[in-house]
Amino acid sequence: MNLIYLVPLFPLLGFLINGLFRKSLSKSLIGIIGSGAILASFIVSIILFNDVRTNGSMIVSYFNLLDIEAFKIPFAFQIDQLSVIFLLIITGIGFLIHVYSTAYMNDETNEHFGRYFSYLNLFVFSMLLLVMGANYVIMFIGWEGVGLCSYLLIGFWFKNNTYNYAAKKAFVMNRIGDLGFLLAVFWILAKLGTVNYGEVFASTVKFSASDITGITLLLFVGACGKSAQIPLYTWLPDAMAGPTPVSALIHAATMVTAGIYMIARSNVLYTMAPFTQTVVAIIGLATALFAATIALKQNDIKKVLAYSTVSQLGYMFLGLGAGAYTGAVFHVMTHAFFKALLFLGAGSVIHAMHHEQDIRNMGGLKKHLPITHISFLLACLAISGVPPFSGFFSKDEILAAAYLKNPIFYYLGAIGALMTAFYMFRLYALTFLGKFRGTEEQHHHLHESPSAMTIPLIVLAILSVVGGFIGIPEIFAPDAHMLEKFLHPIFAQSDSIKELHHLDRSTEWMMMGGVSVLIIVVIIIAWRKYSRTEQFVASHGIARTLENKWYVDELYDNVIVRPVTGLGSVLKNVVEKAGIDGAVNGVGRFVHYSSRQLRLLQSGQVGNYILFMVLSIVVLFLVFWNQPQIAHFLEKIF
Amino acid sequence: MQLLNILLDASATSNASNYFPIGLQLFFAIGFVVTMMFVTHFLGPKRKTADKLENFASGIETHGDARQPMAIKYFLVAILFVLFDVEVIFFYPYAVNFRSLGWEGFGAVLMFVAFFLAGFIYIIKKGALTWED
Amino acid sequence: MNAIILSAILGVIMMFSGIWVNNKATLRWIALAGLLVLLISNIAEMYGYRIWNVNVHNMLYFDRFGLLFNSVAIGSTFIFVALSGSDINRVGKYAAEYYTLIFFVLTGITIISVYTSLLMLFLGIEIMSIPLYILTGSDKRNLKSNEASLKYFLMGAFSTGLMLMGITLIYGATGSFSIEVLNNPAIAQGVSFLEITGMLFLLVSMAFKVSAAPFHFWTPDVYDGAPGVFTSFMATVVKAAAFIAFVKLFDARMSYSSAVVDWKMLLCILIIATLLIGNITAVFQQSVKRMLAYSSIAQAGFMLFAVFSMNEMAKEGIIFYAVSYSLATIGVFAVLLKMKDFTFEGYNGLAKSQPVLAFANTVFLLSLAGIPLTAGFFAKYFMLASVIQTGHYLWMVIVAVLFAAVSVYYYFRVIQAMYFKTGEGETENIHPGFKTGLIILTVIIILLGVAPNLIINFLYF
Repeated sequence: MNLIYLVPLFPLLGFLINGLFRKSLSKSLIGIIGSGAILASFIVSIILFNDVRTNGSMIVSYFNLLDIEAFKIPFAFQIDQLSVIFLLIITGIGFLIHVYSTAYMNDETNEHFGRYFSYLNLFVFSMLLLVMGANYVIMFIGWEGVGLCSYLLIGFWFKNNTYNYAAKKAFVMNRIGDLGFLLAVFWILAKLGTVNYGEVFASTVKFSASDITGITLLLFVGACGKSAQIPLYTWLPDAMAGPTPVSALIHAATMVTAGIYMIARSNVLYTMAPFTQTVVAIIGLATALFAATIALKQNDIKKVLAYSTVSQLGYMFLGLGAGAYTGAVFHVMTHAFFKALLFLGAGSVIHAMHHEQDIRNMGGLKKHLPITHISFLLACLAISGVPPFSGFFSKDEILAAAYLKNPIFYYLGAIGALMTAFYMFRLYALTFLGKFRGTEEQHHHLHESPSAMTIPLIVLAILSVVGGFIGIPEIFAPDAHMLEKFLHPIFAQSDSIKELHHLDRSTEWMMMGGVSVLIIVVIIIAWRKYSRTEQFVASHGIARTLENKWYVDELYDNVIVRPVTGLGSVLKNVVEKAGIDGAVNGVGRFVHYSSRQLRLLQSGQVGNYILFMVLSIVVLFLVFWNQPQIAHFLEKIF
Repeated sequence: MQLLNILLDASATSNASNYFPIGLQLFFAIGFVVTMMFVTHFLGPKRKTADKLENFASGIETHGDARQPMAIKYFLVAILFVLFDVEVIFFYPYAVNFRSLGWEGFGAVLMFVAFFLAGFIYIIKKGALTWED
Repeated sequence: MNAIILSAILGVIMMFSGIWVNNKATLRWIALAGLLVLLISNIAEMYGYRIWNVNVHNMLYFDRFGLLFNSVAIGSTFIFVALSGSDINRVGKYAAEYYTLIFFVLTGITIISVYTSLLMLFLGIEIMSIPLYILTGSDKRNLKSNEASLKYFLMGAFSTGLMLMGITLIYGATGSFSIEVLNNPAIAQGVSFLEITGMLFLLVSMAFKVSAAPFHFWTPDVYDGAPGVFTSFMATVVKAAAFIAFVKLFDARMSYSSAVVDWKMLLCILIIATLLIGNITAVFQQSVKRMLAYSSIAQAGFMLFAVFSMNEMAKEGIIFYAVSYSLATIGVFAVLLKMKDFTFEGYNGLAKSQPVLAFANTVFLLSLAGIPLTAGFFAKYFMLASVIQTGHYLWMVIVAVLFAAVSVYYYFRVIQAMYFKTGEGETENIHPGFKTGLIILTVIIILLGVAPNLIINFLYF
């Protein structure tokens, strides 16, 4: 199918048009162009999806990005089961969020409105490159592109300096991860001379065990940066400085799952590196638990969601580490539905509350924002893993795989799931239940959002509810896991390497039932506790530590940032000024001085010139006839 | 001392005797000049008068400075004369080889003359040979 | 053969059109048309179409290398006349004669790029040089121009003497003028003292022609004194041609003898002296024109690497260097000639008053400095890569790179003046066609900086 190039082309055109003509286009036109571009991509993606379902994967190469003798890096797209699922998520949810944004960002001036949509389109373009590329280099281009857009959009309101700082933080932390990614790509190149997925996975025999472990660990460092895992996660909560739809699209649904995509794409390598898999699982689990504890005590509606995202990403990595690649991709998908919904719902609340984000000042919004309320509730149920909402199926699949890897992983993961249920319903209850705690003026202005915002909410709510049914586990109905069947070709090679275990049915029933019951109990506790809260006392002890996010930011600041800046200032003031500047300027002065002297050779007298030339000829002749002696002499000196 | 070696080598291999007649000729040529200059200087009679320090002008007394500005036309005509005069010399070797060079040689010389003629027309057209302004 | 004969005929035609045509603009169009015809005829010869079949008695051999260079030289001259034609017309009354002389210079160039006999080398060099002596002095009322012309002539005569001496000695030793010495029994048995001395003289005189230090003394004075347009021509097409002759000499004659004699040490001295004098002296110059004279010496130092390493890459590289250096220098001079003031201060604020000129000039200067994405980068790359290919002499590469870094200083002084200093940036009237020409040249330079194979592929098809 030759439509493939259209998928990234539409957003690119949207970016160019909105970016170049943002001053002259009207807002409605900008919105139509921005959203329309993504819709067009979405439609093409659906066609591609059908195509892949019937004909399998395809690779289309357009031209060579680099062409140096035998070494070629083609600019090629690979459309297969994995990338097409991501295409649907990116363009589908992307389209909904674009529509949502037309209303949410309506207060901006024309120019900034256009800038916003051009960035958003550029982001979608880069993200599409990332998932469509047929080799690691194209993926890296997209990877950097989404990092850039994330930076631009976090700092969208660049007049606020803390937002700029957050943007910088996100960019720098991502760069640390990118370095790992880049090194891994170089490593692969050095060993195989190619970076095309197909060729790399077909020639894994050329790698030694340490090569594979090194490459996969470095790739994982890249994934840690982009997908906000310990220790590189602190940028994501700060990234909430960006507009809320951006948080929904970039920092919940798509970009942060790039790390999961990368590892799922490289599943063959990871399956061959058990050590890395264990590292991935442990880091994922630790992040899931750690972020969940922080989320328990946050009071900013978006911060809770941000830590929840970090935590859910941790689950996905746990799934990857446990070898449940399908489960991880499944969770990416369901998470995209309900987390985008949560963010958009939060955006709707923030919109109604006139940019109030503190849940302590909310409450009782249920009757003012009915659509938002219902969809938010459904999303909370989905993320908590209440059956039969979508989160239940995907999380269950990951936890089951974790159990097979190590039962301790399972128990810790289940505790994390309970915390998820708790903080989500704390958030829900404080926001929508109880009495309104905001100011009188805010109360007066409370209103449901316009339809451009509520329709995406409704669509996403439906998806959050039913999205799980494409992955019904074996025990409910045999052969009902459609996603697994669909993705089978991608993970077939991994499946053939690793030995397959299966839980026996009774254990699985017990685990599933037990966790579900506990989750419902936790939900009821949270509901009852926080729907009545009216007074907020200053927290202390462990709660205070949680509220301050375990002081990780401060730790990083003191351990890494301060010493580095200190070293920087020493280098700048002492080494640079005295040493390097002195040396550089000294060289410059020396050149200048020699220039002034050499200039005098040019006396303007022909006689002198010819005399000098004759002397030179004599010297050259002498040198020529005595070469061996001179060479010998020079050898003695040096 | 590679220089010396090569010099010795050169004289040894490229039979120096070949150059002997040339050296002999050089020696005699220079020796003859030097000898004659000395001999005339010492043998010739000398009579020193004030007239002899004057510029020689075929016996006519000189008056005024010899370095007077002269019209550039003299130089131009003179240099053009030399130019065309020298070109004619090329006909001598051609004349010697006239038969062996055949028609090809004739064509080449014809081209030479044509270029030559073009130059001549050019200087006439440019007015290089018009004496009056 | 096409180009040699046609350029001579075109020279004569140009000469006579000066008599019958009074309008200088028309003369320029005639010259451009002539150059175009010349270029097409030469390209036709590259594809095997010859207008004349002359028996050259093995004194010339029309190989791809020489013909490609002819195309480059004629093409560069075309661009030169197209860009700076109006400045040629401003030099003096005799515009037709200037174009005539340029055609005669091209005759010389087309001979020395295909010679196989030392006799032809001598003839070509002389046919190329003598018109240049006249062009140097063409600004008759200007004493500096006259002085430069006389100096050039005197020193040129000196180097011609050396060359003749060298050719004579070689002829005396081997009995042949041919540079194709494979069949020469003298080489097979070893090289005689006389022959080597002869080649040394040839080396020196060629070093003079390409203005390699310490035989560069004529360059700054002549380039500075000559009318700017002709400096541009001398510093580009003519110098590149001299290099082609130099490379051919070493490729054929000297490489066979190098089994016995090692030229590398002499060339090392020449290259380092040239780089040193060219780059270091350029730093202190106050006039952009004089700075460019020294920079052309410095660039010669780089081109000498082709003679030094003498492999396939060097031959490809010297052609590419000739193109990139000629085009960039023609461009820089074209802009320089439009300036009212030739000092660095004269460029102050040019970016404000003439943004197109300033931008194009920046690209040309970047190319001369060898910054990536311009043709100059690959030119230097080929030169240095050819040295690395020889397997030794890595230190030469390092030295060259250091001097290239020095060169960045004086090239960027112009850019700095144009963009970061305030001033009037006064220029002559700029014709829109001139700007278009500059932009086309800029595009060519960037294009070659991205895809150098566009030129090199012509060597093999």
